[in-house]
Amino acid sequence: MISRRHFLSAGAGAATILASGTPGARAASGQVVVGTWGGDYGQLLTDLIDKPLLAPKGIEVLQDVANADPRKTKLLAERQSRRGSMDVACLSDSDHYIVAGTNVFDAVDATKVSRLNKVFPELRTDTAIPHIYSAQVILYNENLVNTPPTSWADLWDPKWRGRVGLADILYPANTLAAALAGGGGVSNYDPAEKKLMELRSLDVKIYPSNEALAAGLKSEEVWLTTMWLARGFMWKKAGIPLSHVVPKEGAVAIVFEASVPRNARNKEGGFAYLDAMLDAKAQIAFADKMGYVPTVSDAVLPEDLAKHVSLSEADRGKLLKPDYKYQTERSQRTLDFWNKQFKG
Amino acid sequence: MALLVLPACLLVLGLLIGPMALMFRISLNQFSPTQLMIEAFSFSNYVQAAADPYYQEVILTTLGMALLCTALTLVIAFPTAYWLGRLESRWKSLVVIATLFPLLVGNVVRSAGWMALFTREGLINMVLLKAHVISEPLTLMYTPKAVVLGIIAVVLPYMILTIAAVIESIPRDLEDAAANLGASAFQQFWRVILPLSAPGVAAGSILVFVLCMNTYATAVLLGGPRFKMMAPAIFDQFVRGNNWPMGATLAFMLLAVTMSFTIFGSIAFARRYRMR
Repeated sequence: MISRRHFLSAGAGAATILASGTPGARAASGQVVVGTWGGDYGQLLTDLIDKPLLAPKGIEVLQDVANADPRKTKLLAERQSRRGSMDVACLSDSDHYIVAGTNVFDAVDATKVSRLNKVFPELRTDTAIPHIYSAQVILYNENLVNTPPTSWADLWDPKWRGRVGLADILYPANTLAAALAGGGGVSNYDPAEKKLMELRSLDVKIYPSNEALAAGLKSEEVWLTTMWLARGFMWKKAGIPLSHVVPKEGAVAIVFEASVPRNARNKEGGFAYLDAMLDAKAQIAFADKMGYVPTVSDAVLPEDLAKHVSLSEADRGKLLKPDYKYQTERSQRTLDFWNKQFKG
Repeated sequence: MALLVLPACLLVLGLLIGPMALMFRISLNQFSPTQLMIEAFSFSNYVQAAADPYYQEVILTTLGMALLCTALTLVIAFPTAYWLGRLESRWKSLVVIATLFPLLVGNVVRSAGWMALFTREGLINMVLLKAHVISEPLTLMYTPKAVVLGIIAVVLPYMILTIAAVIESIPRDLEDAAANLGASAFQQFWRVILPLSAPGVAAGSILVFVLCMNTYATAVLLGGPRFKMMAPAIFDQFVRGNNWPMGATLAFMLLAVTMSFTIFGSIAFARRYRMR
């Protein structure tokens, strides 16, 4: 049976071959399946990339919407298959490191993604493009917190008993924040376990999702949390009276990346998609709508937007890059401790 | 004639037994954070999970919740099922559809509705605060009570319809004969209706118990991150931890506990009511 997808890609391929005369020279076209988050992110991909940048090139984009965990599981489950279900997979940097370790993704280079030379060098990896990024900061209710915290350790002050909330889904980032509060670092999570148990005894509230945490902040059930600066920007825009602090121990960066699986059916379309994700105009629009910072040097944010979503020069110096190897090797212990001891 | 069962058997073999055999094989492998899964043939995951106090507590909580919800559902469902089974009206089919109506809404959507009721700013707290019954919002979300209510709302139609179908087949004359012989309403129920409806009660209870044991969405959305049931724990290992061997192990442990209680319950019920 010929599926619509096969028909489209075969038809588009044949048309291009006829037009160019050389099979190797055919341009990207056809249908591209993008494994992505839904909500604002998925909608912005549609509005800023799919329609204005790829539709004119004859690329039809289909979104395979899911959270990162199911997508990661699908990529791992399909890794032995000759043909995967996604042409582009969007993941966070930590998730990408785990999946890339199983040799799931194709290499990315400037011959396939022409705008790669505009990417900040510190954000580059061999198998992904960095789409947008942000940093983990402390968010607090500016009406209720008179003396803002300056460090992760300040969240453990007994005066905030019952007023600190954490998102369950961000357990790796929360564990790292606890490690930093206890004198550890990106390559030493050992202090986190003691600090998390202390936080538990201070009646920390745990919410199943970021949205539930936002509702807790809005209802003033909690006053302080750890979160991506970009999320804080969106919540502020939604009317929650929040301010942020970059803790003096350091702020961990999170990069949202995109890759082309080795078994993608339309690799050329996939790489064309990655190229479009690095478009300067689209990246500035992402910053305006979602608060995530551009990853390319020619996407310069307007000053009034930059002051809300970018880090100051001094704060940029506190930016920490996760130790992906350490984080991955410790992942089971981190999850088990979070579930069995901290939440247990 | 025997060939008539072939399509169903092939479907079950292909879509149930096959994946389960594969899953069982995975449960014997070992987890590695970097390679994710290493080929092995060891029952160490089962030993590790069975000896882990955390998973012992998760299994006990799951079992306790399933038994409690099944018992409460049975108590709530029986009067409705009796009324439905005895209903002689041209509207009966509409009543049956109305009973089924909650099943037309997905678990997640239904739980989202409950969340709108249970949150601090939800309808229940709003009404109680306005009526000055309470001065501070009650904590209703992320509690076992919320999960029990949510699960019962999901499984109630299964119990009602299963029991109603059996009650419908019990001749009304038997109740009249019992009354004629001096039996009170309770004696009619206890000595006549309940024993004769036992097959429906058993089937409904087993169906509901199995659904409760496998509860996922309701437990996660209404129970919150600290509430422990097996299905979310399995999801955690498969998806958040990428630990497929442990996820598969927990899945088989849940299956074993569910099957043991189902078989034990069926035998005990059959003996008590001499079902054939």
